[in-house]
Amino acid sequence: MNASNETSASGPNESPTVPIHLRPARAADVPALVPLLLRLKRLNEEFDPLLKVRDDAERQANEVLRAQLSDPKAVILAAEGVGPDKDKVVGFVRALVRERPFYTPEWEGVIVDIYLLPLYRRHGVGEYLLREISSALKAKGAGVVTAEFPAQNEIASRFYAKRGFRAIQSLHARSL
Amino acid sequence: MRQSPNYSNVSAKVLINGTPVNALPMAESTTAPVAEGRDARRRTRSNRSAAARSEGKTAALGRRAVALSEFYQGKVETVPKVPVRSLADFALWYTPGVAEVSRTIQADPDRSFDLTGRWNTIAIVTDGSRVLGLGDIGPRAALPVMEGKALLFKWLGGVDAVPLPIVAKTPEAFIATVEAIAPAFGGINLEDIASPKCFGILEELQKRLPIPVWHDDQLGTAASTIAGLLNALELTHRSVREIRTVLLGAGAANLVTARLLLTLGHDPHRLSVVDHRGVLDAERDDVDELMLRNPWKYRVALQTDGGGRSGDLAHALEGADVLLAASTPDPNTIRPEHIRSMGKDPIVFALANPVPEIWPQVASEAGAAIVATGRSDFPNQVNNSLIFPAVFRGVLDARARSIPDEIVLAAARELALHARDRGLSTTHILPTMEETEVFPHVAAAVGDATVRLGIARRALSHDEFLERARTLMERSTRLVRALSLARLTPKMPSAKSLSQRKQG
Repeated sequence: MNASNETSASGPNESPTVPIHLRPARAADVPALVPLLLRLKRLNEEFDPLLKVRDDAERQANEVLRAQLSDPKAVILAAEGVGPDKDKVVGFVRALVRERPFYTPEWEGVIVDIYLLPLYRRHGVGEYLLREISSALKAKGAGVVTAEFPAQNEIASRFYAKRGFRAIQSLHARSL
Repeated sequence: MRQSPNYSNVSAKVLINGTPVNALPMAESTTAPVAEGRDARRRTRSNRSAAARSEGKTAALGRRAVALSEFYQGKVETVPKVPVRSLADFALWYTPGVAEVSRTIQADPDRSFDLTGRWNTIAIVTDGSRVLGLGDIGPRAALPVMEGKALLFKWLGGVDAVPLPIVAKTPEAFIATVEAIAPAFGGINLEDIASPKCFGILEELQKRLPIPVWHDDQLGTAASTIAGLLNALELTHRSVREIRTVLLGAGAANLVTARLLLTLGHDPHRLSVVDHRGVLDAERDDVDELMLRNPWKYRVALQTDGGGRSGDLAHALEGADVLLAASTPDPNTIRPEHIRSMGKDPIVFALANPVPEIWPQVASEAGAAIVATGRSDFPNQVNNSLIFPAVFRGVLDARARSIPDEIVLAAARELALHARDRGLSTTHILPTMEETEVFPHVAAAVGDATVRLGIARRALSHDEFLERARTLMERSTRLVRALSLARLTPKMPSAKSLSQRKQG
């Protein structure tokens, strides 16, 4: 089953001020999604040496995206441009539904990737992506939405803080 | 002390900082008018030997500068501006009389511009992170350069400038220090601070301080570039609104030039910024990194999106009207075939110092209609010394609260107009440093602009600004001459007598 079939983002429901069209990603989108995913990982690389991108990241991105497109526990939404950029994937958001043992709510939706090409930023598109992925995750039973990003990424921190997110767990690392 | 390898760089900036042409012995030997076509190779060769000669002379100038610095032990000093008849006068100039002056300022801080030297005093602040072409040499080694700039400020603009290198580990520490010393000054001149941190420092200080803050490497160079470009366009019957422009180099000067061009109505989609990685477009691989490390460059990437081009310099230049290069000193950066691929009557500014990105003759022979460089020994020198003394004269006389881009453009326009009054030609698109009457006019235009924008603490008329600028600028040259005549400034010793002194 294609997980994204269940998302509320299907159909022409984008807000008129947002210059994109959001829809569930399809297998045919993978070649366009891979470079966007790699851009995001390379941006993460700027924040910490332990986020250095591997040489085979491209192959891996392909595999992960293809696998998750048919995984009911994953949601991937693709943002298409409008006008001359119609049919061009200009951004995406990827999230996973995970169980939370011991805690309640029992299921969380984790936003693992959110990326937009620079020209599409600052038009409220990011907020729109967040809203849509949140409803998709809720539809899959998540009682809480979380976001993973590098601790030093202050732009992401501010983005989420402005939208009611707070830090609840820290991930600290040391090379071995 | 011998450091000759570095002196070529020193000369680089001395030239763009506009030491008057006649002060540099190299000027007469390398005059090279824009040529019209024949015997390209011979001229290219003579260009190269001119470069070699200029390098040798630069080394000699460096040695003499060290010897003279040792002789004079600094270039500026504090000179009283009130009479002192006896020690009793200090009851007025100092305590107890001065207490009332302090109380007056305490009641109204803006009175500090009337009752102290603040109205005419600026600080030249640097962290020494990008001094001339020498790189990050630190604040101590930057002092002689700041002293030289202070001398230029006084001599050309009648401005009392205090050289003030600052030890600061972070931009935040630097900003806090400048903010802390600001009460003594009517303006702040940032000098020789590395890009991109210079952008953040300038922006933040402009936001925090109630006085003009200027960074010459950004604003001065961009203003003189714009002035030259306006006249080059006038000569070739084009307008900023219709041209395709390529900016080569994305450092302090060109990023501001891009911003000013857009303000002037340049179509962002016909403006291509090119750096060592090629055309800067919104989807270039490093654009997210720029968002974090250089938001100013990131902004230009988004605004222009490569000017509708991508790839390398050659792609960007096809059919372009204008090339403004402020990149690295290598005469092969721009190739003749690049120029040949540009549109009709291309305008080429090759501003790297000491060696332009293409030699002017080579550019002309490849079809450039108008060529400018940063050097005084070629026609059309784009020189920030044409701008900064007059800009500060103007904002200080208006006691301005800030120095927005409108002021920068007002200075550029006035400079351009002045060259027009003297007659535009392909070899005269900008005034030279000899056309000293331009300075008070630029100062007055700046003063007018501060009044128009409502940022002047003291609104004078155009004629008052002009008269005041003339008087104060002339006063400096008279002062320097009077000190020499009175032998208070010792005569410039010859190289020979200096070396004898050293031995003795």
